[in-house]
Amino acid sequence: MNIIKGFMTTFKHVLEEPVTLQYPEQVKDFEKRYKGRHHLRRYDNGLEKCIGCSLCAAACPADAIWVEAAENSDEERYSPGERYAKTYEINMLRCIFCGYCEDACPTQAIQLGHEHQLSFTDRRDAIYIKDMLIDAPADGQEATPRQVEAGVYTQSIPNMEDPS
Amino acid sequence: MVTPVKEDTELVTINIDGKDYQVPKGGNLVDMAKWVAGNDIPVFCYHPKMDPVGMCRMCLIELGGVARDRATGDIQYNDDGTPQIRWFPKLQTACTQTVNDGMYIKTNTEQVKEGRESVIEFLLTSHPLDCPICDKGGECPLQNLTMAHGNGVSRMYFDDKMHLNKHYPLGDLIYLDRERCIQCARCIRFQDEIVGDDVLAFHERGRRLQIITNSDPGFDTYFSGNTTDICPVGALTTGDFRFGARPWELTEVPSISPWDAAGENISLSTRLDRDFGGKAMIKRVMPRQNEYVNEIWISDKTRFGHHFTRSDNRLSKIQIRKGSNFSESTWDSTFKAVAKTLKEANGSVAAIAGGSATNEDLYELAQLVTGLGGDKLGAWSPTHTGADLVAQVGLPEGSNLGELGAGDAILVIASDLEEEVPMWRLRLKTAQDRGAYLVVANGRNTRLEELATEDPNIKGRVVDGAAIRYEAGSAAAVMANLKKSNKDIAKKLADANHLVIVAGAEGLTLEGHRALVQSAANFLIDSGHAGKVNSGLLVPLPGANGMGLHYMGFSPETTQDIAANPPKVLIVLNAEILDDDPTAKTWLSQVDTVITLGYFMDAIARESKFVLPVQTFAERDGSFTNGERRVQRFYTAQGPMGDAIPAWKAVGNIAQAADLGRAKLSAAAVMVAIAKNVAAFEGITYKVLARTERQFPDVGGDDKYYGGNAYQNTGGIGKQIALSGTAKSEKVTVPDALKAGKGEIVLLPTTRLYDRSHMFIPTVMVRSRVSLPFVHLNPKDAKALKLADGDYAEVNYDGGSVRVRAVVSDDVSVGAAVFPRKLTEKATPLVPTVGTITKVTEPAQIEG
Repeated sequence: MNIIKGFMTTFKHVLEEPVTLQYPEQVKDFEKRYKGRHHLRRYDNGLEKCIGCSLCAAACPADAIWVEAAENSDEERYSPGERYAKTYEINMLRCIFCGYCEDACPTQAIQLGHEHQLSFTDRRDAIYIKDMLIDAPADGQEATPRQVEAGVYTQSIPNMEDPS
Repeated sequence: MVTPVKEDTELVTINIDGKDYQVPKGGNLVDMAKWVAGNDIPVFCYHPKMDPVGMCRMCLIELGGVARDRATGDIQYNDDGTPQIRWFPKLQTACTQTVNDGMYIKTNTEQVKEGRESVIEFLLTSHPLDCPICDKGGECPLQNLTMAHGNGVSRMYFDDKMHLNKHYPLGDLIYLDRERCIQCARCIRFQDEIVGDDVLAFHERGRRLQIITNSDPGFDTYFSGNTTDICPVGALTTGDFRFGARPWELTEVPSISPWDAAGENISLSTRLDRDFGGKAMIKRVMPRQNEYVNEIWISDKTRFGHHFTRSDNRLSKIQIRKGSNFSESTWDSTFKAVAKTLKEANGSVAAIAGGSATNEDLYELAQLVTGLGGDKLGAWSPTHTGADLVAQVGLPEGSNLGELGAGDAILVIASDLEEEVPMWRLRLKTAQDRGAYLVVANGRNTRLEELATEDPNIKGRVVDGAAIRYEAGSAAAVMANLKKSNKDIAKKLADANHLVIVAGAEGLTLEGHRALVQSAANFLIDSGHAGKVNSGLLVPLPGANGMGLHYMGFSPETTQDIAANPPKVLIVLNAEILDDDPTAKTWLSQVDTVITLGYFMDAIARESKFVLPVQTFAERDGSFTNGERRVQRFYTAQGPMGDAIPAWKAVGNIAQAADLGRAKLSAAAVMVAIAKNVAAFEGITYKVLARTERQFPDVGGDDKYYGGNAYQNTGGIGKQIALSGTAKSEKVTVPDALKAGKGEIVLLPTTRLYDRSHMFIPTVMVRSRVSLPFVHLNPKDAKALKLADGDYAEVNYDGGSVRVRAVVSDDVSVGAAVFPRKLTEKATPLVPTVGTITKVTEPAQIEG
C-alpha cells in the first residue's frame, strides 16, 4: 500500500511543469531589489552624477573601489559640480555586492544593477574601469566631457532634480 | 620636553569638573585644561599659538571662583566646611580666561552642552553642504565638532543660505571658498601676529564679512600655506592638493624639508596613484610638530616644492659617456667601471658634495675618497663657511629659539633670512614680539630689517630693535668693530640674558665670511654667552645638510683648494657646480674624469664621464643635520624613479668594487658606522632619532580644531649634537672689500627663496612667483651708468654675461649692484666679483 502512495507522488510530479531552468538560455526575472553589477548613472541632461568624492570607496568593506578625482572646467565638463571621477574602478573579484557604496553615495551616482554574469579568464579583466561602469548617454545625447557655456554650472554639489 | 611648566613656574590650583589640578599661573584655560586634565574644550577661533579673541563662542563653559568676604578677603565656607563657589550667571568663553588660584569650571553640564549646540547651529545656518567634495572633509574641525556637539538635525533651508564665490584665488597658491568661511580670523591673525606679513583682512560686515587679500600679488607671503592648516573649515585650501585625495586615504610619512638649514619637520601625505604607475606618490606636504625646530609651521617652499621628486627631467637611467654621446648601462657594470677609473687615478681623487646630500651619503663618500688615498673633500657651495665654529659656539644642546623673549637679544648680520631660511626669520620675528631685542645689519634693505625696526603695515606693533646699514661687503669689519662703532647696540647685545647671532655671507667672499663668523664667535665668547643654553651662533649654510657636510669632513675651503689644484678624478654629489658658478669651467676642464651623482642632467652631468641617478629625500631613508646641529631622520615616502638608488648605496657599492670593504645594506647600518667613527655622532642611531616626547601645545591629535592639521610627531624630534672643542676669541684680520676699477662695479650675489634651480623649477604653481632676473642698483650708480628703473642692462662678469632688468632704488648701497643668483638659465656669479653693467635696448634672446 505504501509503495502505491509513494509512486503517486512521483507520478504527480511527472505531470507537473518542471522548475528547472535551462540556464543560460533561460534566465529568471529578478526582484527589483537584486544587487548585481554596478552602474554609474547620468543626469537626464547626460552629465555624470559621480563627483569623485570617494565615499563609496570609504564605505566599501572589501576595499574593492578605487577613485581618483579631478576638477571640471567649462571647456571639459564631465559632471555639473566642481569635481568628477577621473579614475573609477571596481574589482569585481573583491566586491561582495553588499550595496554599501550605493548607500554612501551622496548623489545617487552608483547603483547596483541586475547583471550577474561576471566571470573572467584573467584576474585583470575583473577590474571594471569607468568606461565599463558608466551608462551610455541617451540616444542623440552628447557624451562627456562636453564644452559648456560659462556660468551655467556654478554649484559645488549639484541639486539632484535640476543639476544646472 | 617642551612644556609650560619650568622649574621656576608658579603653580596655582584650579578645579575642572570637580577635580583639582595644579597648573602654571597665567596659562590659558583652554591650553591648561587640555594639558593637565585632558579636557578638550572645543574651539574654532582660538589657537594655542595666537592671542585669544573670543569670536566664535564655541568654548563656552561655566566659570566660578572661590567666594571671599568683600571686607576682609577671607574665603567663605559652606556649613560642611567646603569653600563657597560664586558662579557667573551666564556661560563664559574659556579661551579668554587665564588660570588663577581658586578657579572653578564645569565643562559637562546641560547648560554648557546647550550652549555648544546653539553655537554649532548658528555657524551652520549658512554653511554649504559641500563635505563630499571639500578637501577638508574628513579632517574638518567644523565637521568633527558638529558630530560631537551638534544637534544632528538642521532647521535651515538650503535655498535660504548665502551663496558666494566658491573658488576665489587668494594669490596663486591658496584658494578661498567664501561660502565655507566661518569668520574665525585665524588666517588673518596668523599673518599678522606670527608672520608679520599683514596681507589678509576682513571686508564688509555681519553676514557679508569676507576675507580679502590686500597685497599685490595676492597673499604675498612665504608662509601662506599654514593658513590652510589652521583654517577650521574648508574655506582656505591649497591649489596644490585641490581634489588630490580624501584625507582618510592618505598615509602620513614623517620627513624633513630638503631646502634649508632650518630642517623643518614635515609629514608627507602619500597615496597610490594611477598616473604615477600605481606607486605611492606625495599628494601634499604638511607640517609636523617639533617645537625645537619649526613649531607647527612650514614655509611655502617646503610645502609646495616637492614636485621635483617626480619631475620628468629626473635622471632615471645611468648615463656613461662614449665620445660625445651618452649610453645607458646597468648598476653592476657601472660599479666596476667607476671603481676601475678611480683606482687608475692613483689617489688623485677628490669629491665635492652639496647640501642636499644626507649624512649617510657624505660618510660613505668620505670613506671612498680616503680609502682611495685622496684627502680632499669639498663642500658646495663655497659661499658660506664657519660650520666648524658653529660646532663649537653654536646653540648648545637643549636650546630652543622659541624660548627667546624679553631680556634676550638677536643679531642678524649679512643675511636676508626671509630668502635664505624663512623659518628662522619667522621664529626670530616672533621672539622679538615676545620682547627680544632684534638687530639687523646688512648692506641693503631686507624684510627682516623692516620687521626689526618698525613695520608700517602693522599698526601699534611696538618692537625693540635696531638696524645697522653698512657699506656693501664690509660686514666682517662691522662685526669686528661693533663695540667701537655701534657702542649702544653692542652693549645691549652683550648685556642680554641670551644672545643669538646669525652670520650670513651676503656680500662676502669666503675669506670675508670666515672673518665675519670668527668675529661673531669672538663677540659671543667675550660677552660670556658662548656655551650658554639659548645663546650661540647660527650660519645659514646653503642646503638642508650644511652642518652634516662639516661633520663628515667636507669644507668649502677645500673646494677652493680643489679648484686651485684640480685632481685627476672628481666625484660630484648633488652639487650643480657648472649651473651655479660661471668660473668653474676653467678649472673643471683640467679634471680628467668627472663622476656625477645627482637628480638631474645638469651642466656638470653633461660634462661627466659617469652620471649616476640617485634618490631624493622622498624615496629613501636618511638623516640631515640642521643649522642648529640637530640630526633628524626622514623615512621612505614615495615610489622610486627609474633606476635611481640612494647615494650611500651607489658610493658603497663602488667602494666594494674597488676592494675597499663590503657595501652597507641599509641607511641605518651606515648610521651605526657613523656613530662609531665620527665623534660628534657618538650614540646616535636611527632608534634615538625616532624618539618623541610630549610637546606643548598638545596639537595633532584627533582634536584638529585645537591646533589645526599640524601632525603629531611620530617620526622623532631628532637629536642635537653637543658642542665640542674650545674656540677661543682670536684676532681677526678682515680681508679688504672688493674694489671696482673705473667703469666697473662690484656685483653682490644674493639668494632668492624662489629661484630657477633644477630642484625648484618643476614646481609649476609657484613659477609665477619666481622673480624675473634683475640687477638692483643705487640711483647714484644707475645715474653714472645712465640706467633708469626698468631698463634692460647687460651684466658682464668673469665667465659670462646676461641681459636683465635694472631695478633702481635706495634699498641698496652705493658702489655695489645686487645681482641675485639662479634667476637665469646661465650661471651668474656665485661670490662677489667685479663686473660691468651696460645699458642695452633689447632683452636677451630666449634660447630655444
